[in-house]
Order: sequence, then C-alpha cells, then structure tokens
Amino acid sequence: MTEIQAVPTTQVVTPRVRGPIEMQLKNVAVSFHGRTAVRDCTFDVEKNRVTSLIGPSGSGKTTLLRALNRLHDLTPGAKVSGQIILEGTDIYRGNLTVTELRTRVGMVFQRPNPFPTMSIYDNAVSGLRFNGIKKKSLLDEAAESSLRSAALWDSVSSRLKVAASNLSGGEQQRLCIARALALEPEVLLMDEPTSALDPVATLRIEELMTSLKSRVTVVIVTHNMQQAARISDDCAFLLMGEDRAGELIEFDTTEKIFNNPVDSRTLDYTLGRFG
Amino acid sequence: MTDLIELEEPTEPSTSSREEIRRISDNARARRVVTSRIMVALCGVALLIAAVPLVALLYQLIDKGAGQLNLDFFTKLPQTPTLIAPNATGGISNAIVGTIALTLYASILAIPVGVLVGVYLAETNSKFATTLRVIAQTMAGAPSILMGLFAFSFIVHDLNVGFTAIAGSFALAVLMLPVIIISTEIAVRNVPNSLREAGLALGAKPHMVSTKVVLPSAVTGIVTGVILAISRAVGETAPVLLVIGGGFTNSWQPFNPVSAMPLAIFENAKSEWPSQRAQVWGIALVLVAFVFVLSLTARIWASRKQQVRN
Amino acid sequence: MDPVAVDILKSEEVVAGNTPAATPRSWYSNVLVVAAVLFAAVSVGFVGSIFWSSLPTWVHHGGTLLTSSAWVSPAGPFGGLSMITGTFETSIIALVIAVIIGLGTSISIVFFIPRRFRTVVATLVELLAAIPSVVYGLWGLLVIAPWMEVTVNPWLNKWPFAKTIFGNSGQEFGTSLLLASIVLGIMILPTFVAISREVIAVVPQDLQEASLSLGATRWQMIREVVLPTAKIGLFGATFLALARATGETVAVALVAGSVANAQFHLLYPGTSIAAWIATEFGESQGTEISALMALGVILMLLNVGLALISRALVSRQRKVLARV
Ligand SMILES: Nc1ncnc2c1ncn2[C@@H]1O[C@H](COP(=O)(O)OP(=O)(O)OP(=O)(O)O)[C@@H](O)[C@H]1O
Ligand SMILES: [Mg+2]
Repeated sequence: MTEIQAVPTTQVVTPRVRGPIEMQLKNVAVSFHGRTAVRDCTFDVEKNRVTSLIGPSGSGKTTLLRALNRLHDLTPGAKVSGQIILEGTDIYRGNLTVTELRTRVGMVFQRPNPFPTMSIYDNAVSGLRFNGIKKKSLLDEAAESSLRSAALWDSVSSRLKVAASNLSGGEQQRLCIARALALEPEVLLMDEPTSALDPVATLRIEELMTSLKSRVTVVIVTHNMQQAARISDDCAFLLMGEDRAGELIEFDTTEKIFNNPVDSRTLDYTLGRFG
Repeated sequence: MTDLIELEEPTEPSTSSREEIRRISDNARARRVVTSRIMVALCGVALLIAAVPLVALLYQLIDKGAGQLNLDFFTKLPQTPTLIAPNATGGISNAIVGTIALTLYASILAIPVGVLVGVYLAETNSKFATTLRVIAQTMAGAPSILMGLFAFSFIVHDLNVGFTAIAGSFALAVLMLPVIIISTEIAVRNVPNSLREAGLALGAKPHMVSTKVVLPSAVTGIVTGVILAISRAVGETAPVLLVIGGGFTNSWQPFNPVSAMPLAIFENAKSEWPSQRAQVWGIALVLVAFVFVLSLTARIWASRKQQVRN
Repeated sequence: MDPVAVDILKSEEVVAGNTPAATPRSWYSNVLVVAAVLFAAVSVGFVGSIFWSSLPTWVHHGGTLLTSSAWVSPAGPFGGLSMITGTFETSIIALVIAVIIGLGTSISIVFFIPRRFRTVVATLVELLAAIPSVVYGLWGLLVIAPWMEVTVNPWLNKWPFAKTIFGNSGQEFGTSLLLASIVLGIMILPTFVAISREVIAVVPQDLQEASLSLGATRWQMIREVVLPTAKIGLFGATFLALARATGETVAVALVAGSVANAQFHLLYPGTSIAAWIATEFGESQGTEISALMALGVILMLLNVGLALISRALVSRQRKVLARV
C-alpha cells in the first residue's frame, strides 16, 4: 500500500482528504516509433472511485488507458516511459508478470466483443480458464456471481450454453464486463464502453459502474460529457499540445473539473466550445 | 425494450473460492508462460522448416545448374549420348524455342478472350455471369493434366491435328484463361465507380467509358494477372506432355511437333546417362529464372502502381 | 503465395462489395457477351470432351476401373484402384505435413515476424509456389530419393511396426509413396499458407486484446481465440490444399516410382491418378486412352468437389467474421 500523497501536478491542488490510492501515474508518456502520442500524465487513481479520461479525439486517452495494462507491449514501435505504480509495484519494471498484471487490471473495449465461438457461460469464465482454473464448482460459482454483478444473470441463467452472439449489443457489453469481473480485478479499464450502444443500454451500463464501485476501481474513457459528469468521481482532461502530442491539462475531482477548473481550456472543452 | 434493470447488490464469490482461484492461478502461471514460449518457438521452427526446401532447392539449382550453362547449351540441338561420347548431350535450343512458341500461341489464344470475359463479369450482374465466375474459379484450381486430356481429345483426336505445338498451346490457353479472367474482373471492379459515373456524366457512351476510362485505370491489374498466367503456363509440364509430340528441331510452326523446357526436364531426369541428368539442372535453372523474373516483375510492378495510387 | 488461391478469395470480396451500373446494349457489350459465351463453350467442351472420350470405359469396364488394381497394357483389364488409393494416401500424408508446418508458418508470419520482414517472407513463400512442379519432381528424384534410399529408409525400417507401415521388403527404393507425400507436402504448403494467413490475419484485433486483458498468454490467445474464430476458413484452406495435392501430376510421376501397385506400404513405389495418366498416356492407344480419360473424370470430380467445399467454407468464414 502506498502512502497517501497529494497530486504532484503544477496545478493548484484542492486540499481534499484523499482515499487510498490504487494506481499512481508519474510522468507517463507513450510514443510510437519515436513520435510522442501522449505525455506528462501524472495523477493518482483512487481506490473505489470512477476516474474518467476526457479530451478531444486524438488527445491520447485510449493510448494512456492501454498503457495501464501493458497492452502496448505487443505494438511494434510503442514505448511507455514514466512510472505506473499499482499497489506499490511498478507495472513495467517491478516483479509483476504481464499476465498477472492483466488479471488484476481488466479491460472492457469500445465494441462489445464477446468471444464469438464461445457460449455465454464460456465467455463469463474464459478469464478463469485462461488462468488455469478447471474445477467446475469454482467456474460455476464465478460465472453466476460475475453475471449477477453485471446484472445479466436473470436474463441469461436459462440459456448459458447459447452462443454469446445471440445477445443484444447491450447484453454483450455487460457480458464483457462480467467476463472481466470474474477474475476479481482491482481495476477495470473501460474505453468508451457505451459508444456502440443505444441510450437505454448505455444507462444500464452506467448504473452498473456505479454499483460496482465498492468492489473495483474504474478508469473510463468517454466522449460523452454528461456521462463523465454523471458517473465519475475524478476526471483527467487531456489535450493535444503544439506538436500534436496529447498531454494532461488538468486532473481533479469531476465536480471541480466541470464547475471550477483551473485551466480555461478545460472549461472551454466541458462547455463544448471546441473539439 | 424492457424496463431498466433492478440492480442487485453485487454478489461476490465466497472468500474460500477466491483464495482457491488465486492459489491455482498463481501455481499455473509459470507453466502457462513456459508453454506459450515453447509454442511460439515451435511456430518459428515451422517457419524455418518451411524455408528449408526453398533454400535447399535454390542452392542446388544454382550449384548444379550454373555449370551447365554455355553457348552450346542455348544454341545447339540435343543429342543422345553414346558409349563413345557419353558426355555429348548437345543443347536445348529446341526446348527453348518450343517453350517460347507454345507460350506465344497460348497467349494469343487466351489473353483477348480472358480479358473480355473478365470485363464482362465485372460489368454484368446476371445468373450467367455468376455461373461463369464459379466456373472460372473452379477451372483455375483444376489439375493441369486435365487440360492436356482436353487438348488431346479435342485438338489432337477430334480435329485430327495431331501432336503439335498448337495442341499444347490450346491446353496452356485453357489453363491461362481462368487466371486472366479472375484478375481482370478484380482489376476492373476495383476501378472506383465515381470515375465511371464522371465519364457518363460528361455524356460519353458506355462503351467509350469502358474502353477509354475504366480499362486504362485497370490496366495494371490486368497486366499483372496476364504475367502471372504466363509464368504459370511456362512451367507447366503435364498438359503439354500429352499433346506436343516432343520435336527435335527448332520449330516455330504451330502445326509441327515441338519440345518444351519442362518436358525436357521431365524426360531427361529419368535418363540413364549421368551427363543428361546433369544437364537437366541447367534446364531447370533457366526455367526457374524465367518464372521468377516473370512473377517478380508482376509483383513489383503491381505494388509500385499501388503506391502511386495511394 | 498461391496467386490464384488468393485471387479467388479476393474476387469474392470485390464482387460482394461492388455493384456495377447496368450497361446498355451496344456493339461493345455484344463483343463481351460473345467472349463470355465462348468461354462457356470452352468450359462445356472441357468437361464434355473428357467425359465423352471416357464413355466406352464407363459403359464396358466401369466396375473394373473402380474395383480392380490390375492395369494391363495395352488390352486391359484397366483397374484404377491402385491409382485411386495412391492419390488419397499421398495427398492425405502431404496434407498433414502441410497443415502442421503451414499453420505454424502462418501464425509466425501474422503474429511474430516484425512488420518490415513480413513482405520478404510473403515473397519467399510466393516464390515457393511459383517454382514449376517439374522442378520439385527433379529435385525429389535426383536429390532426395538417393538420400532416402541410403539413409532415411533403412533408419525408418528399424522402427517397430515398420513392416506394417512401410513394408520392409528387404529391397530399398528411393522413389516411393512416402517421398511423393513429402514432396507434395512441400508443394501444397504455399497454398495452405496463402489462405490460412489471410483468415488468421482478419480475426479482429480487439478479440485478441480482450483475451490478453484476461491474463491469457500469447499462445492461449492464439489457441483459444484466434484459431477457433478462424476455424472454418482454416478448413477451407485445408480442402483447397487437398485439392491441389490430388491434382499434382509430374512431381508425383517422377518421385512416386510410377508403379501401379495397391500396396499401402509407404516405402514402396506407387502412383496417383494424375501421375499415372502422365506416365501411361504416351504409350497408350484406343481403349487404354479411354480408361485414362475415365481416370481423368474421377480426378475432375474429386478436385471440383474439394474445391467447392473449400469455397463454401471460406465464404462462410467471411460471413461469420462479418457478424463478429
Ligand atoms: N498503434 C499506434 N501507432 C502509431 N500511432 C498511434 C497508435 N495508436 C495511437 N496512435 C496515435 O496516438 C495519438 C492518440 O491516439 P488515441 O487513440 O489515444 O486518441 P484518443 O484520445 O483515444 O482519440 P479518440 O477519442 O478518437 O478515441 C493519435 O495521434 C494516434 O495517431
Ligand atoms: Mg480512443
């Protein structure tokens, strides 16, 4: 457990008592083939809160999010610098294998993407299976609890063996959330998880995120200002600099970012004046 | 759309299960990582194994073939070695002339028809066109020996033309046709519709648009397909084996028997004379060089044009 | 890469994605129609003339052709059993070789080779496909066969069950069904790689990342997500490679030994339908030619059947992926 500390940005820090910290980002920057895509990201993700990343298209939100579970490892030419510390361990340099990291930091993607060749049940327990769990009783228990947590159990419990592609888009996305939850991750990364869904399905996912807060820390990328305001507790605003590389402009509580930001560009963005 | 969900209290698995899961996955992790490394390595090994025949074959072709190449090899007619002159194999000029003649006549037969059919398929949506497309695709993969059987029964036998260059060219033309048709259709369909519409909007007749606008833009793809078809025909043995008769002179006549490089390889590989078996490597080297130059030209040209377009 | 195989794949896509405007009739469209009709006539003639020439055999000796393994020139009987079994035997062993090596190759090309080497490797595989089959045959006959005879075969014969599988006759043959299978395996490898590479490469990236994000290793990602998603297309690639193997002629004619024998034993010389047509045709007349034409009909049916299955599978894969 890391000690509690103030946000080391150049911005004025509101004196708020901060809770325990899940992930610490220190000067995180990501470059592709030497071209910086995002840089200067220094902020703390607090436990059991929802942190949103907002900013115009191309400001590096997705890039930053993917650095948090080392998805850039496989991208040729990608380089992540700075430090990302999960519960006291540097995820890039500490003795944490990448597979273990990813069981602790799960991810939900923009497009609902259940594995097309697997049933609902198999999708829900796929993470456990990848991790070597074969015991039926454990899988059954995890399938039920994760599908319940994703508010999907009641509608699918009678057809667990059906192919996941038969579900509606919103249900598929909830299945993807269940799939990630089954591993009991500490952090759940979500990249615009509702942008492919209709408003009703979106609302359901949002409610779900709020309800999950007690159990998992959520970092979510969103383009939807209302969504960020509705569901997130903290908010990071990213913007492209002169050289078109994204950088962190401001990080604070969502309330502050939306009502009383330090940087005028943040206000412009949240009011929809550009981007 | 149903009502909004009733959110239950998030249920979590019992502590004992969580611990068991954690324990199992911690224990399994190292093994999983090692398995993954091994399988990745095995895939790499498979790639290397796939490369072995290519490297070995090319090495041996050059090693054994290059020494065979000299002026006589290209300009003299073949001889059968005798006990007195066991190394007198002569040259392969008849096979070179035969291959060029066969390919030339086959191209004359196949290219115009193939291109026109390809354009037809690209500009028509009918049952007939769909059927023809399936036929072309099936024929493109059909065993080449069947083209030889066709040429034999139709040209050699029914038309009573006999074992001649033209019978071989017919077989090769049937082989080339589907390849040309398929690549022409792709090339023509890849021409943006906007180009076509622009032409029509300027009041050009449809056939003018097709010949003056569409075909010129598709010409790279068409030529690439034609070169690939030719390079395939040049190396084919089976179809010509049955019908060209194996002439021993340098003959350009369509109605004479001719030889061909693949045929000379096929016949002489089984020769009891070591000198003839050695010479075969020379023929194979020339043939492979010919085919490589053709297909690399097609490839490089196609990708160059692609870049220009992008 | 097998240019024809890949072109066929592409043509399906291109056709699906593009509807041409209707062309009004003109002299130009008439020329196109004439060419199309000519091609239709050629294809009908292709099937018709081979079948017509084989008719006497079907009428008089159809049963012998399919059930007997005795082929006696020039007057018959003409039994095709040893060619048919030889075709299946060599093709299936070749397929096993090509699928195992080809799958590893495709996976390596798609996932493990740095992007800038990918074109080079693809070009090399394409060159492998461009080498004329007679050159493979020559290589097999003059290089591999002597090596098999002296080194490999005696070693294989020391194994338990060698007699049942390989047929240890005390004689050593260089040319054999086993050699033919190996050479065939090498020859159909590029076809399999060309298609399997394409179907593996189009498995959506986010599915792969989803599995990694659940803690899967790269191999688990490939095995549990990529290969199952590409499964149907991979079967398509397999059938196409099998079709190519059954139709391969001169290489088999050179390295299998050109002997009509119905032995299953792998170290014995044998032949296949296509190879037998190639080796026998020159010395045949009359009824024997008709019998060879009948073998050609069998080959055609086999080949067309396999190719159609392959096409159906590959296009179903495309539909599956469209839904994903
Ligand atoms: N794999 C990659 N290779 C090269 N450049 C990349 C790669 N991924 C992202 N980039 C670049 O990084 C920059 C940031 O992209 P990113 O996708 O993170 O933006 P974003 O904020 O998520 O945008 P959006 O809101 O549109 O999703 C872009 O300029 C993009 O071109
Ligand atoms: Mg994004």
